Amino acid sequence: MRVLVGGVGYRFLRDGSLGPHLTDKLADEPGEMSSNGLEIEDLSYGPVALSMNLQERPPYDRLVLFAAVERGRAPGTVEAYRWNRQLPAPDEIQERVAEAITGVISLDNLLIVCAALGGLPDDVRVVEIEPEDLNWGEGFSQTVEQKLPEVREKVWSSTKP
Amino acid sequence: MCFKNLPVEFDEQGNAHLKEGVADPFSYKVEELAPIESPEGEEKLHRLLERNGHIRRVDFDPVTRVAGALAFHTVVDLENRQVLETDSMATLFRGYEVILKGRDPRDAIFISSRACGVCGGVHSTTAALALEMAFGISPPPMGTIARNLLLSLEYLYDHPLHLFLLAGPDYSEPAVRETNPELWERAQSVRAAGKATHGFDTIAEIMTAMTPLTGSLYTEALHMTRVAREAYVLIGGKYPHPQTIVPGGISATIDTSDFNEVHLRIVKFFDYSQKVIAIWNDLVEFFYEANPQYREIGRRPKNLIEPGQWDDPHAYDGTFANVDDWGRKRWAPPAVIRDGELATTQMTALNMGVEEFVEHSFYEDWTDGGAGNGAYQFKTDPNGNPLPPNHPWNKQTIPKPGGTNWKDKYSWSTSPRWDRVAMETGPYSRLWANALAEDYSHLKFIEPTGHSLKLHMPHGNLPEAELEWHIPEQWGAFERNRGRAYSIAYTALIAYENLLMGLDLQRKGETRTSVDYKVPKDFRVGAGFWGAGRGYLTHHAVIDNGVIENYQILTPSTWMASPKDPFGNPGPYEEAVHATPLLENYEKPEDFKGIDVLRTIRSFDPCMPCTTHIYADSRVISRDVVTCACGVDDDGHDHEH
Repeated sequence: MRVLVGGVGYRFLRDGSLGPHLTDKLADEPGEMSSNGLEIEDLSYGPVALSMNLQERPPYDRLVLFAAVERGRAPGTVEAYRWNRQLPAPDEIQERVAEAITGVISLDNLLIVCAALGGLPDDVRVVEIEPEDLNWGEGFSQTVEQKLPEVREKVWSSTKP
Repeated sequence: MCFKNLPVEFDEQGNAHLKEGVADPFSYKVEELAPIESPEGEEKLHRLLERNGHIRRVDFDPVTRVAGALAFHTVVDLENRQVLETDSMATLFRGYEVILKGRDPRDAIFISSRACGVCGGVHSTTAALALEMAFGISPPPMGTIARNLLLSLEYLYDHPLHLFLLAGPDYSEPAVRETNPELWERAQSVRAAGKATHGFDTIAEIMTAMTPLTGSLYTEALHMTRVAREAYVLIGGKYPHPQTIVPGGISATIDTSDFNEVHLRIVKFFDYSQKVIAIWNDLVEFFYEANPQYREIGRRPKNLIEPGQWDDPHAYDGTFANVDDWGRKRWAPPAVIRDGELATTQMTALNMGVEEFVEHSFYEDWTDGGAGNGAYQFKTDPNGNPLPPNHPWNKQTIPKPGGTNWKDKYSWSTSPRWDRVAMETGPYSRLWANALAEDYSHLKFIEPTGHSLKLHMPHGNLPEAELEWHIPEQWGAFERNRGRAYSIAYTALIAYENLLMGLDLQRKGETRTSVDYKVPKDFRVGAGFWGAGRGYLTHHAVIDNGVIENYQILTPSTWMASPKDPFGNPGPYEEAVHATPLLENYEKPEDFKGIDVLRTIRSFDPCMPCTTHIYADSRVISRDVVTCACGVDDDGHDHEH
């Protein structure tokens, strides 16, 4: 099974940087990474470019994304789910494309733009955490720091058949 | 005469000095604004609204399909189809000036790049230029060529993106059907003059192809942005935040294979630019013929500023002492155009005429109304030319968040002015400056005539062609877009010439792309003059003890999104929207979509991400500060949190 695992987010934005930070960490785990067909990559470089890249690569069976996303939950809440591929109205998709090409990086933006422009496998899994601190700077809040093992575990379990 | 408002004159040798006998040369009187929508004007507004149901407050908050956070407030008269009042609001704070204080100067290259997700590479390069001036270094010729190539490629990414993904949808079938169905009807029977180049039979076919997400021109533009970005990363490593830009050149090497790969991609823009020009020529002329009033959309005076760009690798030495010489040898000359005429092509004059005002911005004034208490840091530039207290080298960024009040403060953008006149900027200001510079004969594929710019396009799949951009008789939204289309061809030609020069340097063995340097520990100043895809960009740096003492970034959208200045004059967006007739087809006020206002604003290619979060102790001044404030007067609450 070909699985692409990727974090999404800006660097140096405290909890908001969970995606790229965890990508670097997970890539250094030789045990998990030895699984056949598993690739890990920082996917924070822009949804339009990602869509184009995915369309050119041999198809993946599954995409596993992880990020910190503000949804009004208790800080540190971790959720893992299979994305339902529900897309908003075309006008909103177009707004998301406009955001994407002007540099906005977010999980929702990536899912919507890639689904609209193509390239996503049918099976898209998401692991997200509610951030507590989105200030400019390095390191995580204590709340998110404590939850990193849970996020890690959920990411790896999302890659399993 | 270069300056009409600032008290600066020139002697016979061309040296600038303050006029004699002026006691407080840069002080000014603040004109009080009298907006309809202010506590004082509220009664006037109510009377207007009661008498005239067709007068409406219309807020565009946020303005969508622009980069970043822009809100626009208007009062419109829907019966007389006029805009009565306009206020442009940058709704987020750009805090890079504060973040950079006290840091290693080299950090400016990487941190300022984060000002924008589109033009980060330009910020990096402009920061490198500022540091080169401060450090007293300059790149070897191949370093300059690499930089010229990289930024050409950045514009080739930027212009299609704007023309078809941001502004383009305003001219697409769904938008035209919804706002002016009579134009859609007409478009189906009007033949497209440029069919031989772009392949579309009718104007309606072009509009359909511009439909977001599904139209062929939309998806082709997405593809072309990729081509440009691929070419960029072949040399620059990554984008939009390259790690290869350094003071004194670039940190990457370039081999023949790199040049060939870049060449393959630049050539694709030869054909593409011809197609884009034909598309926008057909669209613009269609609208003008359908209703000549479309020439009035987004109209404003021909006042433009262009710092010039693409350095001559054999002339650029990074010094301020020689800035007028190497500035004039750039592919695009530095220029100020006032009322359509060249006011100056001297970088020193361009630089000394720039002031930033904050009377209507969420900042503290640092100058005591321009007087500066006589204590501002730089009375002159390094060449001895007089500088005002409001000049970027003297500017201090002192945020003062507060409630929005159209009479007082309503934007996080400052009000930059040149000679106290509102200026706009964009890729077309490069074309314009180049076209007016008739003596500019050293360009290989580009020929200025004084009233136009001839572009000698080599063949790709299409045969070679001579394209000609004419300085428009009337300046407005449609001409901005047309100019941007020509800028793709213009930029591709400059990229191509630089590529040929790079290959020549390689043949001669001049392959070094950077020089060694040390960060000086003594007091230094520097300035980077360049431009983003959207126009003017400068970085002014003051360095002491090996760290940044002051750093000021002036972006194109700061010029154009600016609120009113202390003299009561509107910023370019405000001025252009105010002049815009409402040609949209609406029967009831509720049907009004504001397409003409939006076409006007988007024609400037607004790019607001350079207004962004600031880290200030444990607080973040964030999106919530003022984005909901359109139409709201000062509520007395502190919106900082």
